[in-house]
Amino acid sequence: MSYFVGTDVGGTFTDLWVAESAGGARVFKTPTTKDVLGGVIDGMRLAAEAYGVSFEQFCKGVERFGHGTTVGLNALLTGNAAKTAILTTTGFADTLEIGRMRRHTSGLNEIEATDSFLRGRNKPLVPRHLVIEIDERVDANGKIITSLDEAQARAALAALKPQSIEAVAVCTLFATVNPVHEKRLREIVASVLPGVFISLSHEISPNVGEYARMSTTAANAALGPLAGRYLSKLESTLREAGMACPVLMMTCAGGVLPTSVLNDRPAYALFSGPAAGVVGSLAMGARIGAVNVLTTDIGGTSFDVGVIANGRPVMRSDVSVAGADIRVHSIDVDSIGAGGGSIASVTPAGGLQVGPGSAGANPGPACYGRGGLEPTATDADLVLGVLNPANFIGGRMTLDIEAARRAINERVAKPLGLGLMEAAWGIRKILDSRMADLLRRMTIERGYDPRDFTLFANGGAGPSHAWVLAAELGLNSFVVPAAATAQSAFGTANSDLAFTTERPAYVRLQAGRAANEAEIARVVAGLDDALRDVRANLAAAGAGANVRIDRSAAIRFRGQTHHLDVPLDEGAFDAAAFKAATRKFGGMYDAMFGHGAAYSGAGHELLAVRATGTGSLPPPPLKMSGDALVAAGHRSVVFDDPAKAVETRIWRTTFPAPDARVDGPCIIEFPGQSAVVPPGGKARADDFGNLHIELAP
Amino acid sequence: MNPANISETALNPQALNPQALNPQALNPIVFEVIRNRLVAITEEMRVALQSVSGSPTVTEASDFFTGLFLPDGSVASMGFQVAYQAPVCGAFIRHIAHKSKHVVRDGDMFIGNDPYIGALHQNDVQMVGPIFAGNAIVAWAGVEAHETDVGGMDFASWSPKAREVFQEGARIPCVKLVDRGEMRDDVLEMITTASRLPGPLELDIRAFIATLNVARARVTELVGRYGPAMVTHAIERMIETSASRMRARLKELPDGAFHASDFLEHDGHANVLYKLDVVATKKGEKLTLDFSGSSKQAPGFVNCTRSGLMGAVTGSVMPTLGFDMQWNEGVVAPVEVVAPEGLVCTAKFPAPVGSATVEAIWVTGNAIMLALNKMLAASRKYAHRAQGVNDGAMATFNLGGVNQFGEPFGLHLMDPLAGGSAAFAVKDGVNCGGPITSPISAIADVEKNEQVVPLFYLHRRLSRDTGGAGKFRGGLCAEVALTLGGIERAQALVMTHGAEAPNSAGLGGGWPGSTIVQTFGRGAVDRGRAKKADYETFGPKPGLMTMTSGDVFAVSWQGGGGFGDPLERDVAAVGNDVAANAVSPRAAREIYGVVLDDGRPDHAASKALRDNMRRERVGAFATDAARICAGEPIGALGPSLEIRRDAHGLHVTTPAGYILSTGHSRWREGGLGRSMKQAPAAHRILLHEDLEATAWYCPATGLQLAVDFHEIGRPPAHDVIVDLEALVQAQ
Repeated sequence: MSYFVGTDVGGTFTDLWVAESAGGARVFKTPTTKDVLGGVIDGMRLAAEAYGVSFEQFCKGVERFGHGTTVGLNALLTGNAAKTAILTTTGFADTLEIGRMRRHTSGLNEIEATDSFLRGRNKPLVPRHLVIEIDERVDANGKIITSLDEAQARAALAALKPQSIEAVAVCTLFATVNPVHEKRLREIVASVLPGVFISLSHEISPNVGEYARMSTTAANAALGPLAGRYLSKLESTLREAGMACPVLMMTCAGGVLPTSVLNDRPAYALFSGPAAGVVGSLAMGARIGAVNVLTTDIGGTSFDVGVIANGRPVMRSDVSVAGADIRVHSIDVDSIGAGGGSIASVTPAGGLQVGPGSAGANPGPACYGRGGLEPTATDADLVLGVLNPANFIGGRMTLDIEAARRAINERVAKPLGLGLMEAAWGIRKILDSRMADLLRRMTIERGYDPRDFTLFANGGAGPSHAWVLAAELGLNSFVVPAAATAQSAFGTANSDLAFTTERPAYVRLQAGRAANEAEIARVVAGLDDALRDVRANLAAAGAGANVRIDRSAAIRFRGQTHHLDVPLDEGAFDAAAFKAATRKFGGMYDAMFGHGAAYSGAGHELLAVRATGTGSLPPPPLKMSGDALVAAGHRSVVFDDPAKAVETRIWRTTFPAPDARVDGPCIIEFPGQSAVVPPGGKARADDFGNLHIELAP
Repeated sequence: MNPANISETALNPQALNPQALNPQALNPIVFEVIRNRLVAITEEMRVALQSVSGSPTVTEASDFFTGLFLPDGSVASMGFQVAYQAPVCGAFIRHIAHKSKHVVRDGDMFIGNDPYIGALHQNDVQMVGPIFAGNAIVAWAGVEAHETDVGGMDFASWSPKAREVFQEGARIPCVKLVDRGEMRDDVLEMITTASRLPGPLELDIRAFIATLNVARARVTELVGRYGPAMVTHAIERMIETSASRMRARLKELPDGAFHASDFLEHDGHANVLYKLDVVATKKGEKLTLDFSGSSKQAPGFVNCTRSGLMGAVTGSVMPTLGFDMQWNEGVVAPVEVVAPEGLVCTAKFPAPVGSATVEAIWVTGNAIMLALNKMLAASRKYAHRAQGVNDGAMATFNLGGVNQFGEPFGLHLMDPLAGGSAAFAVKDGVNCGGPITSPISAIADVEKNEQVVPLFYLHRRLSRDTGGAGKFRGGLCAEVALTLGGIERAQALVMTHGAEAPNSAGLGGGWPGSTIVQTFGRGAVDRGRAKKADYETFGPKPGLMTMTSGDVFAVSWQGGGGFGDPLERDVAAVGNDVAANAVSPRAAREIYGVVLDDGRPDHAASKALRDNMRRERVGAFATDAARICAGEPIGALGPSLEIRRDAHGLHVTTPAGYILSTGHSRWREGGLGRSMKQAPAAHRILLHEDLEATAWYCPATGLQLAVDFHEIGRPPAHDVIVDLEALVQAQ
């Protein structure tokens, strides 16, 4: 027997998804431990037990081990990363402190941002006394204006010795255009402070723009010693237990890499959890023939959305962590504070608000009976009949429906003069409409029509709210994936190898002017260098010869600040390809901003090129047998009209058998979620255990 | 813009009949759904504008505005960019509604920039478009942004020598640029032709169109779903919700009159001092702002029109009192403005107003925010968040010519936004927090600037000793030194106020942040490397000049205002300030009374020095026992100004119980004031020849109670006039 294992370490639970060679798949959940590693090992033991083998036998049988974790992110957020110094160009040591003025408001929501009293919450990633100025300067064209003063650099580094620095980030101005000083500084650091972890900005975040590049490099350096220690411990523990395959770590950009390739670049895995969720949807989409997927996850506190268009996740490059701008090419997972724990409250002006405040897991919703008095979305779902008080989280928890009713009645219904059901329905309606707003932002605002997409409903509350989201967006169906409550773990086990990198290449074209040879050569050199990097890293990761390459260029109208990533066609990059790219840019632009917005008279700027290589890994076997749906009575459930509850059939299953079918109105209760099929809807299971739910036409 | 959507009927924008509304249908649930959607649409407008725009003033500094409006011009939902701009598009919409010659049809978009209609100054180009439901207008979408050049006698349309608005940027009153979905290319060409930078201007006008397109599409969809009456009613309720929250806030605050003034120097022609003066009178749920004490209008471009004043009022009230509510028309609904014509903040046609935003409007805003913070300080509930003035000046460095790519260029440096934030009553101000009237403004990376404009920075860093001194220190501002990169010469425009007036006022005995220092080093750089040279220190408005690649412009701005007496600052905190290079050892000693020993504070020596400094402030400590009130404090006028009661009635006292005034709040009558022509040098504050400072002390202890800046020969006003009995009851 062999196993494909995917693991995802979240804040509360560590998820394991295991597929055995015979084709069945199961999900295991264990509490996340403080050392992170323990939770993963606990999960492996749990799985071994379930398969009736010893821990060692299970480890020996592991054919692939995918891993995702927020351990790095948490270290940054809690300030527990390694003690790090920064070397930068003289005159610019306050770059993190000034933070482009963005640091102070970063992370504040729309109402908080207007309150200046809330500023100053985020300290710079590295304190000012550990930022060292080095005499050197390179200009925008890569020309050396001031040569590196090596003696000064050595002296400054020697003065750092008593500080017990664990890592050094080097970020000098325009190192992305000419890295010669950064490279030399690496040698000097290694000789003066032997053994420290070193990150160079032009390698970690090769972008023009020193604030985000410095933050990213500093974050990378600060995580380096930590992530290295953690991953090597995980790897050695599993190897000692008999696991022969490498640990494949999920990257922010989607795609896994062995730890050996990631050791120098822990920042690339900073958001591995959310990325893995989208990768899971990508993998499942590929199996069921869905190339456009809206992947949603509704948990206790947040609603996360990723978009897969034409078989490729939509990406972004800028994220904010602990107030710092981090620039890592990442799958774009946007999120709002909306989930089962979202608190409903009446505003002083008599309005009803749901979220962004959350009751979390403790005290949790009123119905948890842990002392929470405020009504939440979960309480509303319970009162509306969507949730079964006796069968929550597979019956491991009994919900107190009276407490839920009381909370909604006292704190929402009475103050607003509404009936209980109307108030509960209103809570859900507001929450769902906020989530639909995010879905619109992720699609319509970017020029996508949501009706071209398949909606995947993940997370504990996703499958019970998806029917409303689908209707809001004009979709007539949605999918509850078999691994809906462990989509990220599923993703880490079902991912290809992938590596992505970029190179700056600045070309400025006035209107009507075509790129000249030197400019083409500049872009080609950037592309070639990026490709070399991609191929070398994928080879080191063990990819075969069959590597798929995607290339894109960052293009904007001349004079703009924002750019679009324009996919480049295959073949050599020449003047014609350049022209085709700017034409494609115009098309993307019109789709996003409407007719009349494009100004062709502006000319264009090309800023950078990016290459992504994907090395496919054989997908785990997934042939499901599944169980029959077991009828579990009826209850009355409120769907569209709070005044009219509908008598609704209840089904139970852990894993629906292929082609199982039921008609709505019904609710299908899984151990960790309840899939709601509204009146007139139909549900059908596919060969992989996914439920396809169609709404009434 | 789909021509199929065009309605052929000419319409009165106010045709929507409010009687047709059915408020019963708008329950809190539907309201919240529509409200969220409108906020999301406003946010989407912002994203569209910032994504398309070519101007760093828009993409980085957020010097723009996007919003949705009722047909009567009330702003319902706005981004929190430059709050000063909130009333602008509304005034424009009202102008359209009241001019019968303007026929408004579906698909139309209007453009304008006239400060005598609604704009703050001509650089602020605005566009609005109606959103129709059937034959009626349900809402308007509006967008505005600062454009670097819209013509006029000087580059950047800011002309220190202008004496009439006609000499400044082109004025576009109200012109239909898009007619039923069709761009009027001839009109567009006329507008861009007036500019020295037609390309960037057209790019931004396209961005405006994209923004209005987005708003129209989304709101139309929302109206299609909920019906026009429901959407209109939801918008009205959004405004009413903020209005009722604002009235509730005002009700919580003490009744009284709170007075503040700020100054700007140099009108472009002469270094004359202008005062922006406000008395904020709060009674119940109503706030009246009276600007009658301000200077008469200037002959130069520093004025603002009444539109500018309304911008200053809205932009200042929102972040100071409306910090936790949705920003829209409702926030200023309870505010009344009193201001006669012909003041520097209500200039009469055809006064020049080119630099209004960074001069009269900015400084008026400072005065309003200072007055309102005095009100907060007198409230038990909000005293903790009372502060002085944030980032009291926005200096200008504009550069124009031919760039390193051989193209005509013009840049408006946004780095001067990085002024310091004022300290609060309970904590230090943040460094480079910038203006709170524009909460999310940012500055561009040095690299991104150097990549596309011909600048080369020698440094961009925090500027030591710029944070206003106080028990809690104001945040530092940044400072930059730059030369040209990739070109030999260009035309620079250098101007500011606040070089000789400390606009970033302190509060509660705190000092203001530094004044601005603009210097110019000719021959101070050789191929990007600094060399020894003499730097000329400019006055506030040196104006247009030629700059070469051998010259360096070096400037530091204003730090935030401090809070409380600097001698009360925690000695260890001053030690940390020195270690972090935020405070110099000299300032630590001379301002904070902290003695350093090998870089570390010597607590015993510092205590002795501070005692001595307090005594020196007052000569000898007053010891008259009759002036000491034995009662416990039962209220407070502000920090260090307590209210106590004894047999003689209510007194304003210092924390030592020293009686400053009895039966009234004019406490300066009993304080000890010391006037000075210049502040001690370590403050980095330079005063105009017509300005002086008066520091007020507790005669018994030497505690610093306030530092006033005022015209020479005009004693500082009693700035907090309240009924002590009522205040004590309210607290």
